Amino acid sequence: MTHPVHQPPQPRVTSRRRLRLDTGTPDAGGSRLGRAVRLGTLALMAVLTFFPFYAMVLISFKPAGAVDFPGILAPWNLELSAYQRVLGGSDLIRWFINSVIYSLVSVVLVLLLATLAGYAFAKKRFPGRSGLFWSFLAMVMVPYHVTLIPTFAMLSQLHGVSTWWGLILPTIANAQAVFLMRQFILGIPDDLFEAARIDGASELRTFFTLVVPLCRPILATLGVFVFLWHWNDFLWPLIMARKTDMWTLTVGVSSLQEQAAPFNVVFAGATLSLAPVFIAYLFAQRHFVEGVASTGIKG
Amino acid sequence: MSAHPALSEAPPRGEPSAVPRPDGPSPVRPRRLLSHRRREAYAGLLFVLPMALLFIIFRFGPSLAGLLLGFFDYYPGDTPEFVGVENFKRLAEDPNFWTALKVTLIFGFLSVPTGLAISTVMALLVRRGSRTVNFFRSVYFLPVITSLVVAAAVFGWFFSTGGPVSSVQSALGLGDASWLRSETLVILALVVVNVWTRYGYGMLILLARLQDQPRELEDAMRTDGASSMQRFRHLTLPHLRPALFFLAVIETTASFQIFDLVYLMTGGGPARASHTLVLDLYERGFRNLEFGMASAIGGVLFVLTLVVAGIQHFMLGRDRT
Repeated sequence: MTHPVHQPPQPRVTSRRRLRLDTGTPDAGGSRLGRAVRLGTLALMAVLTFFPFYAMVLISFKPAGAVDFPGILAPWNLELSAYQRVLGGSDLIRWFINSVIYSLVSVVLVLLLATLAGYAFAKKRFPGRSGLFWSFLAMVMVPYHVTLIPTFAMLSQLHGVSTWWGLILPTIANAQAVFLMRQFILGIPDDLFEAARIDGASELRTFFTLVVPLCRPILATLGVFVFLWHWNDFLWPLIMARKTDMWTLTVGVSSLQEQAAPFNVVFAGATLSLAPVFIAYLFAQRHFVEGVASTGIKG
Repeated sequence: MSAHPALSEAPPRGEPSAVPRPDGPSPVRPRRLLSHRRREAYAGLLFVLPMALLFIIFRFGPSLAGLLLGFFDYYPGDTPEFVGVENFKRLAEDPNFWTALKVTLIFGFLSVPTGLAISTVMALLVRRGSRTVNFFRSVYFLPVITSLVVAAAVFGWFFSTGGPVSSVQSALGLGDASWLRSETLVILALVVVNVWTRYGYGMLILLARLQDQPRELEDAMRTDGASSMQRFRHLTLPHLRPALFFLAVIETTASFQIFDLVYLMTGGGPARASHTLVLDLYERGFRNLEFGMASAIGGVLFVLTLVVAGIQHFMLGRDRT
C-alpha cells in the first residue's frame, strides 16, 4: 500500500503514552563528549531547519529595497510597509477568508462523512461491505494527478469551476480518513453499541451520542491534518478557482511571487499564511506530533 | 447542488428502521432476527452512502476515465476520439517527455535516500528525550506543516543571486550565480527544499518505531561489548526496516509526483532542466488543453507508482522469510 495508512491507531495508544513518558528520561548512553556532539548536531540541525522561517519573518518587516545579505538578517530597522502594501494593495484578506472557508467546511464534511462510513465499515454488516472498503483503499494506488483532468472536465461541464461546491466536494472523498476512522472504531467494544440498541436508541442517535464522542481523540488528530491539507493545498485551488475572488491564500501568495513583487511583500503574505498554522501548532502540538507517531498520517 | 448529501439522503430510509417495533405483538423469533439484520444492513448502507457517492463520482470515475483518456484525442468541448496508443507513441518520440521522465527519476533517486538517511540519523539522535531534545523535535517538524508555497517563496530567496547561498559562494570565489539558474544545480536546490519539508515526518515515524524496540536486548549487547555501530547494524536497523520500507514507498511515490515546488520555484527551467512529469502533465493539460496527451502522462505516472509498489511487495515478501 503506497499511502500513509500504516498502522491502526487503537492498539498503539500505550506506545503513544510511552513516547511522551520517554521524553522525561534523562540521557542514558554515551560519554560526556558523545553527548556534547549529539546535542551540538541537534542544535545545528535546529538552526538550519529554523533559519528559513527566521529570514522570512524578519525580511517581511524590512523596507522593500533591502536585499544585502547578511545585513538583512539583523533584527533592526523594522517597519510595517510590506504588510501595509500586501493588505492594502491585494485581495489578501479575501484569500485568507477563502482559505478559512475551504479548510473548515472540508474538515466538517470529511470528519462527518468519514466517521459515518468508518462506523458502517467497522460495525455494520451489509452486502458488499468488504468489497466497497477495499475498493476505497485501492484508490490510493491511483496517483491523484491521474484524476485531475477528468474531474476538471466533468466539473466544467457541470458549471462547477470557480464555485465552492466544485472546489470542496471532490476533496471530501478521502480514503485515508475513512481508513483511520474504521480502524479506530473497530477497537471500540461491540457491547456499547448493543446496549444502546437494547435501550431502543435510533441508529442516528447512537451515532451522534455514542460513536462521535468515543471517537473524539482520533477526530481531533484527523481534523488537524484535514485542515492542514486544505490550508496548504495549492494545485486544486489553482485549477478550480479561476477568479481572483475565489483564490485561496496559497494561490494568492504565489501570484504575488509571479508578479515579481519584492521579497518583503511576498514574505509578508507568506508569513500571514503561515501564522494560523504556526499558532495552532504551538497550542496543539500534541495532535500533530502524536498523530503522526500513532497513525502514520502525513502532514 | 447540495453540499450536504448526508442530510438530503436521510429521510427516505426512515421506514425500514421502524419495522421491528410495530410488529412487536406477534413475536415470531426468526423474523425478528431477520429484521434486525435488515435494519443493520440498511443503517450500514445509509451511513456509507454519502462517502460512497463522493468516491464513485470523484475517485472511481475520474481514475478510470483518466487511465482511459490516455488512449483518446480529447480537447475540452470536443467529443473524445479513440486513437489507440497514438498518444503514447507521440510521447515516446518527444524528447521533452524523456527529459521530464529523466528529471523526475533523478530527483527521486537523489531526494529519497538523502531524506531517509537524515530522518534515520535524526530519529536516533532525538530518541532519548529531554526537555531540550523535545523542543528540537518540534522545530524539526515545523517544515512538515508549512505549505510548499511558503517554502518555495523563502527558498526562492535563499537560492537567489545575492541571497545566502550565492553570497557564501562568491565569498569563496565561486561566483554568485543562482542555483536555480544552473542546469546542473537546480535539481540539487529542489532536493534541498524537498528534504527540508519532509525529513521531520520520516523522523517521527522512525522515532515511533524506535520506541517499540525492547531496551533489554540493546542493554545486553552493550554489556557484551558491542560497539554502537554494531548495535545499530544488528539490532536497530533490522527493527526499523518495515518503517523504512513504508517511508521509502511513500517518499518515492511523492517524489515522482513533485509539482508545487517546481511550478513555483523554477517553472521547469532553466532549459527544462527541472521540468518534471507532473509539470508536463499540468502544462499539456491546463495550458495547451491537450487532455488526451496529459492523461497519457498520467498513465505513465500510474505505471511508475505500480512499479514502486511492486518492488515494495517483492522486497517485503522476501524479507518475511
